[in-house]
Amino acid sequence: MKKKIITVMLAVAMTASLLAGCGSSSSTSTATADTAVAATSAAATEATSEATAAATSAGAAAATEATGGMDATGKTFAIVVKSAGNPYNEKEIEGFKAVIEAAGGTCISKEPEAATADAQVSVIQSLISQGVNSISIAANDENALQSALQDAMNAGIKVSCFDSKVNADSRQTFVNQAGTQEIGQALMDAVLDISGGSGQFAILSATSQATNQNAWIDAMKSLMESDSKYANLELVEVAYGDDEPQKSTDQTQALLTNYPDLKVICAPTTVGISAAAKVLQDQKSTVKLTGLGLPSEMAEYIGDDDAHSCPYMFLWNPIELGDLAAYTAIALVNGGITGATGEKFTAGDMGDYTLTDAGDNGSEIILGPPFEFNADNIADWKDVY
Amino acid sequence: MNSKTQKKSIWKTIGKSREASLVLVLIVLCVVVTIMNPTFMSIKNIGEIFRNNSLTMIMALGMLCVLLTGGIDISITSTLAFAGMTIGLLQKYDILHNTFLLFVIAMAIGIGCGVLNGIIISRGKVTPIICTMGFMYIWRGLAYVISNSSWASGADVAGYSDFGQSAGPYVILVVVYVIFFIMMKWTKFGRKIYAVGSNAEAARISGINVNNTLTAVYGIMGLLAGLAGALSVSVYASAQPNMQYGKEMDVIAACVIGGVSMSGGRGSVVGTFIGALIMAIIAKALPLIGIDSIAQNTIKGVIILVVVILNVVTQRMMDKQNLERRAM
Amino acid sequence: MAGKSGRTIQSVQKNSLKSTLLSWEGALAILFIALNIFNSIISPSYTVTNVLREMPKYLCEIFMLFPMAYILILGDIDISVGSIVCLSATMGCFVCNTGLPVGLSFLTCLAVGTLCGLLNGIILTTFTELPAMIVTLGTQIIFRGIAEITLGSGGSVSLKNTAGYNAIAGKVGIVPIVFFLVIIAAVIFTVILAKTTFGRKLYAIGSNRTAAHYAGINVQKCRLIVYTIMGLMAGLCGMFLTSALFGANTTTGQNFEMDVIAMAVFGGIATTGGKGNLIGGIISAFIIVLLRIALGQINLNSQLILVIIGALLIIAVLIPGISSSFKAKQKMKAVE
Repeated sequence: MKKKIITVMLAVAMTASLLAGCGSSSSTSTATADTAVAATSAAATEATSEATAAATSAGAAAATEATGGMDATGKTFAIVVKSAGNPYNEKEIEGFKAVIEAAGGTCISKEPEAATADAQVSVIQSLISQGVNSISIAANDENALQSALQDAMNAGIKVSCFDSKVNADSRQTFVNQAGTQEIGQALMDAVLDISGGSGQFAILSATSQATNQNAWIDAMKSLMESDSKYANLELVEVAYGDDEPQKSTDQTQALLTNYPDLKVICAPTTVGISAAAKVLQDQKSTVKLTGLGLPSEMAEYIGDDDAHSCPYMFLWNPIELGDLAAYTAIALVNGGITGATGEKFTAGDMGDYTLTDAGDNGSEIILGPPFEFNADNIADWKDVY
Repeated sequence: MNSKTQKKSIWKTIGKSREASLVLVLIVLCVVVTIMNPTFMSIKNIGEIFRNNSLTMIMALGMLCVLLTGGIDISITSTLAFAGMTIGLLQKYDILHNTFLLFVIAMAIGIGCGVLNGIIISRGKVTPIICTMGFMYIWRGLAYVISNSSWASGADVAGYSDFGQSAGPYVILVVVYVIFFIMMKWTKFGRKIYAVGSNAEAARISGINVNNTLTAVYGIMGLLAGLAGALSVSVYASAQPNMQYGKEMDVIAACVIGGVSMSGGRGSVVGTFIGALIMAIIAKALPLIGIDSIAQNTIKGVIILVVVILNVVTQRMMDKQNLERRAM
Repeated sequence: MAGKSGRTIQSVQKNSLKSTLLSWEGALAILFIALNIFNSIISPSYTVTNVLREMPKYLCEIFMLFPMAYILILGDIDISVGSIVCLSATMGCFVCNTGLPVGLSFLTCLAVGTLCGLLNGIILTTFTELPAMIVTLGTQIIFRGIAEITLGSGGSVSLKNTAGYNAIAGKVGIVPIVFFLVIIAAVIFTVILAKTTFGRKLYAIGSNRTAAHYAGINVQKCRLIVYTIMGLMAGLCGMFLTSALFGANTTTGQNFEMDVIAMAVFGGIATTGGKGNLIGGIISAFIIVLLRIALGQINLNSQLILVIIGALLIIAVLIPGISSSFKAKQKMKAVE
């Protein structure tokens, strides 16, 4: 009996406290949320109907209007990276924050507790609660964020992604670090060049579900089929190191053991390339390495001579990627662009950018071609990022 | 007294034959892999197995002690990351580059973390899995916080990582295993651990300070986790806050495969070594024999489960034999 | 994992145990109220609407709290639940994408979950010597592994037809449907544990498995049932998680097992078995969820949030230990 009473009391207390605790502040903050929604509602309805349909019509008109629109005073911009504790993500935040704050806006940076879509969903929901004006996200899964991001767009928040995209229904536009095709081309040419035109090569990727890596690897494969200059190259295996140093090391060693004639390893992932570089250099292997890596992590391994395992590699500047993501977010919030293909805007001192077709019914903005790091310039870059 | 010695000798024979059956599993595994890929048995490859898995092998010893007392520690890889990240950062910011001192610091951090576990578990009467689960979040989180989203990379730990490429890891591995083999077999402390694990109440009555023993055991676990952190930074030439994430389960699996009982009191250093070696060979061999990387995890899980069940089946057969012998 | 000495002196301690338990839940309720006040002070976005909108993902986890509490009370553990969620969500998505009716997809989620739980149960009851920890560690790797193989190189599947799943992700007013389901499940599980012989059997097994066996309880049958229910609820969690993610990938449900165990333990359910009840578990689950939501809203470093939860967990389990040893000392003094 006593127990029953206590249970009932508990239930009452729980509901009461939930209502009381929240009631006090709800009035004020819903009010602000309402005004925010009202202010952006016109743009929002247009935006949520999404890119393709309205595409061409809006295009040219928006271009002129956008140039002067880089003021973000009083607005809040959120950046969500893939995971915590990764310098590459940290540099993206650094660039994003600098631009937003220079434009007078408030920047919220979010690093989810784990590199999973689950964790990002919670983060997005939290940002919706805070009533931010824009979310820029580097997605851990292309499709899994759709529900959360659509909630955000319905709440009037401008959603753009960078680094790693979400599907066209979950975004307004995508800030792409470099065209998938261009990266595939650069990596294939590097493999061709380093191998001397023929021989075996292998790819050491991140996880099997990494969106970016899979797109680049697919681009490399289709290039090999379509262009006869790669005819003498043989891709023996795509190994996955799961972006863990230990597993990447194991996988690299397995590649070396399994394929004694291997000439080149291509690792389009920052953790994989540094683990592989270390293995090759320690073993004084004749196998050479290329791929995508952070200069600060790879400085030790880049060089033209036999003592270094990586003659050259590529990457874009994550700080600039953050910058461009910020300019894009500001342009979206200010109505300079809506995310339709063909629109143009000026990204501060970075110059003019055009929204192009991303090939998935959505639009994208490409930062530029990947940058080559080699023995000559690595010393200049290793302290930058 | 008489019955006790008799019982002991029975345990001993079981222990021996259990390890014999594990060696059999190990040999079968090696033969199968070698047939599928002859390069597996090369000296270079075996060297790599021991170097890449020295961390798991070392931590398995600490886990052996913890499991012997009937506890468990799932905070070890977080301790490892915290200790490893600390010494990585000390080098990144050019505060300290002395390899020996860095190892000492990592181990000291490890002991601190471990002793804290031990005190809360023994004095606070908290279940080990919950206490270490709390610290699993805490140390890992702190590793992230102190790292401030940066890594210590190849160039930062340039001199230090030479140690990981030298014979260093092997020497440490051998020394630690020899020490533990002697400790568990011939010292009073070793016997205390077994005593606490088989029956804490009896151990208390016979004058063993159970609380201190527990604290020491978790301290040792922490020490080894710190040492593994230092080694990890050295072998992989990088310190990242997420290093060895989730690998505590591999360490526990290694122990259990090696015949260590999770309810305490039963297990040996040799068994642990073989268990850790089986885990290491699984990890190394799966890519070598050309199994699709997507399927590797499933096969790893199946092997763990099969070996563990095999342990139970052989144990049952041995018990049956013993009973029959006794009946005669 | 039952107490090794196999002797929990239930009859002697019952009174003091009961009173500590009651006071523990009382303390949790007070903490719950205090937390809500604290949350609404630190975060201006902490409103009923916002909290309810952020909640569904966490509510999915709470489904698994109930059977996990049963398992802990049995003195067992199950760390494969996160992987079961992943596998059942994956299979559900594939079935849905073949164009079959969405009901069949829901059924698949539940069936796959139940099968996984059943498998755990069968292994554990066939090889009773095996600790639950290691068996479910093995199946944890296997279940997620099978999901990885099914998902293939992309590692991710998305729903082609979201209508059915959208329906279960819907809301009544501002309250998500899943919230009601959690409450219903909470009532059912609480009543079964507190009022039925089955519930009492679980406590008996948890406090002394051998004694329970001699008292005529079919220990292994109970374990098999509980593990199967665990699988079923994990499947349910997978189903609702799919409705929030419109798909599944290889990291779906990662670390859910730790979250769920933490909620249960924070609610006063001991991992050694035989102690605790669901009311504490449910309040503590909401405490953890609301704390996470509020700390997320003030943009605290996500790792720092984990540190705080870890510290809270340790403090929560330390309090009963300290208070009981304090009481024991007082008793000793009184005797002297």
